[in-house]
Amino acid sequence: MKRAARVRTALRLRPLPALALAVTLVAGGFAAWAGQDWYGAAHDEEAGYAAQRDAALTAGEQAVQNLNTLDHRELKTGLDLWESSTTGDLHEQLAAGRQEFSDQVKEARTVSTARVLSGAVTELDDRAGRARVLVALRVTVKAADGATSDKDSRMLGELTRTDGTWKLSALGQAPVGGNPAG
Amino acid sequence: MSTTRHHINRQRRRQARETRPGAPAERPDDGRDDRTGGTAVLTSPADADAPPSSARGPRPKPTPPPAEAEEAKAARARRRRPPALAVLCALTLLLGAFAGWAHAKAGALRDEPARSNTALTDLARTSEIKGQAAKAVDRLFSYDHADPGALDKAARDLLTGKAEAQHRDLLADVRARADRQKAVITTTVTESAVERIDGDRARVLVYADQSSVATTGGKAGEGKAAAGDEGVYAAAMLAVEVVHRDGRWLVSALDTFGR
Repeated sequence: MKRAARVRTALRLRPLPALALAVTLVAGGFAAWAGQDWYGAAHDEEAGYAAQRDAALTAGEQAVQNLNTLDHRELKTGLDLWESSTTGDLHEQLAAGRQEFSDQVKEARTVSTARVLSGAVTELDDRAGRARVLVALRVTVKAADGATSDKDSRMLGELTRTDGTWKLSALGQAPVGGNPAG
Repeated sequence: MSTTRHHINRQRRRQARETRPGAPAERPDDGRDDRTGGTAVLTSPADADAPPSSARGPRPKPTPPPAEAEEAKAARARRRRPPALAVLCALTLLLGAFAGWAHAKAGALRDEPARSNTALTDLARTSEIKGQAAKAVDRLFSYDHADPGALDKAARDLLTGKAEAQHRDLLADVRARADRQKAVITTTVTESAVERIDGDRARVLVYADQSSVATTGGKAGEGKAAAGDEGVYAAAMLAVEVVHRDGRWLVSALDTFGR
């Protein structure tokens, strides 16, 4: 009797708050799930790796393009860009050969413009900060007499991450028939 | 809801009072009955506190005094209910809003192009695509004049969509020349890298060497394909689009960069 009365009271008192509570709990469940989903998406290791891959590729393509672009009228800007795009051995080589090279280009009076046709990362060591890229390049050279010629280059680049930015540390052309191409 | 019930109860009480014989409402005209009117005023609060049984509609049985106290408590609880409800509603809205926002954030993060591209992040798939694309290019760009059927078979096996026509156009000249020179053209992929993998589609950048060996020494002047018995290597680069079908990666497009 007493119990029945209590049940009746409960029934009379509860429906609305109970419903509201249930809805709130469901909302809480959704919030927890969505929050966890978001956290997971933001701290996804694979995503971090993918971001590094894209960063390395973008930097690699840009650096390879920079190193194949040079205007004899703007040698300083061009060669400064070369040096800022590179690091390690390649950077030292470029710095050491700068004077000689700039004399050559001044004399030849050429304007080289490179365009990246396609690029892809072959290897990426996220922890060590090293990557290898393939960059298909088309270089247009305008000679002193105004004649232009196109040349496709199959570039192989190595990138090293220094202070969070990817820079080219080695660059060469893919060998043809087992022999290094010019 | 509680206010409505209060209101209904009050109305019922008022009705009960008015229908009672000798209701106080009829008296005000009579000036001498002012004192009795006073007593009536004294009794009326009791009327209000203990409404007639007809006003207790919701309760089928007469309630004992302890239940009366319980009802008062319940009434107090009822008065306290709206804030609690409001809090629950606000909480629901907040949680719902957060859920929606977080879900949108997570979705936006997942939709980033860097994430949809699984090149290198999915190593097994990357090397599978790399391997199959390299093998496909080797077969699709190699030709032996003595066995022309092999190239046709390779085209049937490995190509799909617009790549079929592209391949036919690209190879038509090469084929004719090789037949004339009785040459064997061998293509070997030297480097390849997967640019992107997007579900069952991928794009692979390929560097390949093409060697051509002519078995008849004549017509030596015909470009790089003719060089006698000595193999001549030509550098080639192309991008291959592949699509996953029936467990294999088929070439769906060839990009020779306008060459």
